[in-house]
Amino acid sequence: MVATAMGAACGPSRTSTNGNAATNTAPGTGVPRGGNLLVSVRNEPRSFNRLTARETTTDLVSNLTQAKLVRINKVTQEVEPSLAESWTRSEDGRRYALKLRSGVVFSDGQPFTSADVVFTFKAVYDEKTGSSLADSLQANGKRLRVMAIDPLTVEIAFADPFAAGVRLLDNLPILPRHKLEAALEAGKLGEAWNLSTPPSEIVGLGPFVLSAYIPGQRLVFDRNPRYFRKAPDGSALPYLDRLTVEIIPDQSAELLRLEAGQIDMTHSEILPEAYAPLKRAADAGRIKLVDLGVGLDANSLWFNLKPGAFAGDPRAAWLQRDELRQAISLAVDRQLMADTVYLGAAAPVFGPITPANKTWYWAGLPKTPHDTGAAKRKLAAIGLTDRNGDGALEDARNRPAQFTLLTRTGRPDLERGAAVIRDEMKKIGVVVNVVTLEAGALADRFVNTGKYEAVYYSPIATDTDPALNPDFWFSFGSAHLWNMLEKTPATDWERRIDELMAKQIASPDETERKKLFDEVQQVFVEHEPVVYFVAPRVYVAVSSRVTNLTPAISRPQTLWEPDTLAVNK
Amino acid sequence: MQRWPSWTLAWPSPDLMLRTLGLFLIAITGVAVVGASAFAPHASDQSYRALLNAPPTAPHVRDDMGDWHAPFIYPWALVNQLEQRYEQDRSIRVPLVWLSGGRLVQSSDDARAPLLLLGSDSYGRDVFSRLLFGGRVSLGLAVIAALGALLLGASVGGLAGYTGGPADDVLMRASDFVLVLPAMYVALALRAVLPLVLSPRVVFLLLAGIFAIVGAPFFARGVRAIVRSERRQDYAVAATSLGASHARVLARHLLPAAWGFMAVQITMLVPAFIIAEATLSYVGLGFPDPTASWGTMLHDASSVRVFGDFPWLLCPAAAMFFVVLALNLVLERTDITVRLKPDATYK
Amino acid sequence: MLAYISRRLIFAVFLVFAVSSSSLILARLAGGDYVTESLGIEAHPETVEQARARYGLDKSIGAQYRDWLGRVVRLDLGRSLLYDRPVSDLIPERAANTAILAFTALLFATLIGLPLGVVAGSRRRGPGGAGGPGGVIPGVIRATSLVLLSMPPLLTSLFLVFVAARTGWMPIAGMRSPGEPSTGLTLDLLQHLIVPAGALALPLAAMFERLQAQAMAEAIGAPFVLATLARGVPRSRVVWRDALKASLRPIAAVYGIVIGTLLSGSFVVEVITAWPGLGRLMLDALRARDVFLVAGCAGAGSIFLALGSLLSDAALALVDPRVAEP
Repeated sequence: MVATAMGAACGPSRTSTNGNAATNTAPGTGVPRGGNLLVSVRNEPRSFNRLTARETTTDLVSNLTQAKLVRINKVTQEVEPSLAESWTRSEDGRRYALKLRSGVVFSDGQPFTSADVVFTFKAVYDEKTGSSLADSLQANGKRLRVMAIDPLTVEIAFADPFAAGVRLLDNLPILPRHKLEAALEAGKLGEAWNLSTPPSEIVGLGPFVLSAYIPGQRLVFDRNPRYFRKAPDGSALPYLDRLTVEIIPDQSAELLRLEAGQIDMTHSEILPEAYAPLKRAADAGRIKLVDLGVGLDANSLWFNLKPGAFAGDPRAAWLQRDELRQAISLAVDRQLMADTVYLGAAAPVFGPITPANKTWYWAGLPKTPHDTGAAKRKLAAIGLTDRNGDGALEDARNRPAQFTLLTRTGRPDLERGAAVIRDEMKKIGVVVNVVTLEAGALADRFVNTGKYEAVYYSPIATDTDPALNPDFWFSFGSAHLWNMLEKTPATDWERRIDELMAKQIASPDETERKKLFDEVQQVFVEHEPVVYFVAPRVYVAVSSRVTNLTPAISRPQTLWEPDTLAVNK
Repeated sequence: MQRWPSWTLAWPSPDLMLRTLGLFLIAITGVAVVGASAFAPHASDQSYRALLNAPPTAPHVRDDMGDWHAPFIYPWALVNQLEQRYEQDRSIRVPLVWLSGGRLVQSSDDARAPLLLLGSDSYGRDVFSRLLFGGRVSLGLAVIAALGALLLGASVGGLAGYTGGPADDVLMRASDFVLVLPAMYVALALRAVLPLVLSPRVVFLLLAGIFAIVGAPFFARGVRAIVRSERRQDYAVAATSLGASHARVLARHLLPAAWGFMAVQITMLVPAFIIAEATLSYVGLGFPDPTASWGTMLHDASSVRVFGDFPWLLCPAAAMFFVVLALNLVLERTDITVRLKPDATYK
Repeated sequence: MLAYISRRLIFAVFLVFAVSSSSLILARLAGGDYVTESLGIEAHPETVEQARARYGLDKSIGAQYRDWLGRVVRLDLGRSLLYDRPVSDLIPERAANTAILAFTALLFATLIGLPLGVVAGSRRRGPGGAGGPGGVIPGVIRATSLVLLSMPPLLTSLFLVFVAARTGWMPIAGMRSPGEPSTGLTLDLLQHLIVPAGALALPLAAMFERLQAQAMAEAIGAPFVLATLARGVPRSRVVWRDALKASLRPIAAVYGIVIGTLLSGSFVVEVITAWPGLGRLMLDALRARDVFLVAGCAGAGSIFLALGSLLSDAALALVDPRVAEP
């Protein structure tokens, strides 16, 4: 095998965050040890088993108590070694040999070997476990084959060349075989490590161990003295003695406690409405407010583009046309949306990849201007003009131009955004009926019945590398929002994107991948199946006693690297 | 007993004065709300993008130098957008315009310095105008629903208390069922079954119906207890023996004894319904934005910042207080001594 | 008497059963199911189907209901989809928390509202029946009650949380402090109870006060009161013993409902003050379409109401013997 060594030398250097962030102090020196960090989350965990539960609190528990083969550094967006200290890729790009760190033990003292890795993959892929991770641990729709070469070497084989390679492994916490093998044999791994499990049974390779869970109130984690990672100066990690996660469902209460110094940080980012009181507290020196810049995700509007979805509806002639969406993109004043929804703390975006995605953003992305005249011309091209001078547009049979936009209750940013869209479209004569539905009802309509016209929502991309979001880009994908699970591409441009993406995923040459993906973005923006408006700035707030913070723009902004956090006494 | 000067006996009784005050408050509210299109300076969905959560623009008649002018306002200048801080620009006087464009009063420079008597909300809409327009929806719904609940609950409770026995049990358990079944579940199921886009009229009728049913058990229980004990009283027995039908005894003698209780319940249910409308819009079964309603206005305002930074957003709560006060003043009657009142109309 | 109680118990069982069944069916009708919500909108259809089969959610409503029914008669409430624990474990621990909160609130409300109502109601008479309204105090009490009655519970809770945060006198949220509280466990719990119990108790106290004032004023006008006064019994004794007993009827009637709705309807307060109670559990269960937990919570709520209803009827019989006559 010719080696293309990708080892400890990672990609580009760490880019600095702007604002008054407390970034790394000199490595190792002066970082205080000990102390208890108080973090708040909004939801109860559903389980301690990351394989079956995927919401934020379970994910947090998994990040704290488990470790992965590789880790994506959320600041640089590059892959870093974790349990695997180096890896090599075969010439055909299909096989990766990972060399595991030696001397690593689980929190209960049992040694970590390649058998645990093989076991974890087996557990994820087992049908009886019912893991949702099985879907994301695939390349090109095919599962990975994992073999243990020796106790410290693992070979992972992809069915087809997969350029992103080990990046995929950031999803997978490595589970202890000695604890869970029995459950897997009995086909009951899905129920293992549920909330009734005694904390001492939750064994892992992560920086902390779960020491107490009080339902409805909090989770307590103590430092894992056997944690394998060391600080740059060689001293042991984590710095903290204890990390307490409080469950506070209401945002107002959460913020009050942050201001009062009763918690040190919140798991989720700060909404713009909360900025002012936190700024006051920051000026008084009680907390540190960090502006991380424009984020990776933008709320999106898409239509139901399934062929035949509106059969029998007289609006079928224009409801699924590109021109309608292009007109919406022209008509909505993005700055108004930024001002109204995010109090100005947002930047206009025009495609699914925002400038915050440094590696994959295409600088040549055309920026749609705010032009109501052009919007009206687009609509006239599909037969919608004001035929009777009442200011509203009608089609050829004098039926008014209107559609129903669904969005979610309980999310002020979505409700306000939908209101802005409605008001802006009213100005050019299109009536938008905004219907807010509760989350489950919205998901049901969208996923199960498919009976909707347009949705305004905020799906989140799991990773910055588009190869890890195939379900969105490919026409047969289950997250191809406007027309999911197509058997064959319904349009020529979707077919083109399928081809480009297939090449992009396989190509080993980074420059070629970038070129291919630029073209994908170009085709996407030309037909605009999803309209993007603004991406909000991301703010995080931590109490002033927190040091050694490495905030990043992707979630979880302050807790992606819990082992290096520290608190002053 | 205290000695009161004789001239106080010539005044109308304090009860009567309070009741008149209550009627007066109700009348003012009614007029303001019905005439909202004239009294409100803006439409309820008019938003000013540069004035989100802006404080009230108080009208002045004297400027800083002590000169008198026709009523005017000072415009707000945005100091910090993210913190939503404004500063009054006292160098510009914007006079008010009366009786133009179908509205009682407006600012003369509406685009840049609108008249915001009670400030603006988080979309930049005038709170005062939304208070008036929202009153139509909220008060209309709450009052109709409360009356519906009263009728339904008093009938059920009165019937149960009067007949007793198994009918009483069944009726009370039915009302318990309605009481304990979480309304959210029903609302969510309804939402799934109904068409997506509902006209405001349909929503109004739907909510009024739901609230009337959900509110009825509160009346039923108390009325039943009162009727049960009252029917043994002398006057009721006397009326029956004189040949009054059951319905008459119930309606004319027993139910009025429960009036005091029912009056208190009404004053409790009206604000509860106004708020419940906002809770139901969480499951998607409410008045769609931008229809103003007091419940949704308060719901939008509910964050910790409101008490310190944007207290004007709490105006609907103050308005609700006035309505509750007015209702209470009018409805609470402590001089009813029905039991001693003879009914001389039997033949 | 025994027949009466057993009849009430049978009805109570029936009520619990009816409410649980209805909740199960309503949650199923509501659109969306647990699997869609938990796996996300981007899940592969095969995974979704497998998960549905595993939880038994791919069957029709009728079949699911029959399965549930079959388990319930064996007193097996099922396993919560959301938390993967038996429903019969989850509910008692949360119900206990809510019960602590509710009873404290009820106690506060009764101790504050009832006496204030008596004071406000008993002073309405002036000379000749047409004189002064009895002074400033009843007016102030009435006005305060009206303010509290018209405040939405969301705002009351937010306000108390806000006050707690600004003054630092009380813990802001949660049920217990993290770690070992310096003041001992019970005192810590009591401190944490202040804000949520206060938020629940204040509107309740206002309602009790108004009801009691109303009933008191009517009772004072009864002939027996005049007769007792004429016999020379001191006024305060007449008010606080005789008239009070006669006036407790509406409150006794309402007490049952209050217990029932407090225990299941306190979710607003529980969410804002992070109190780990039954109301919050119900809301989470509904959002996640966890049908078994939903049915269990609704059933628990109806048990409380049935109990409260029974208690209140017993209280009524105590207070006003005329009611107990068949």
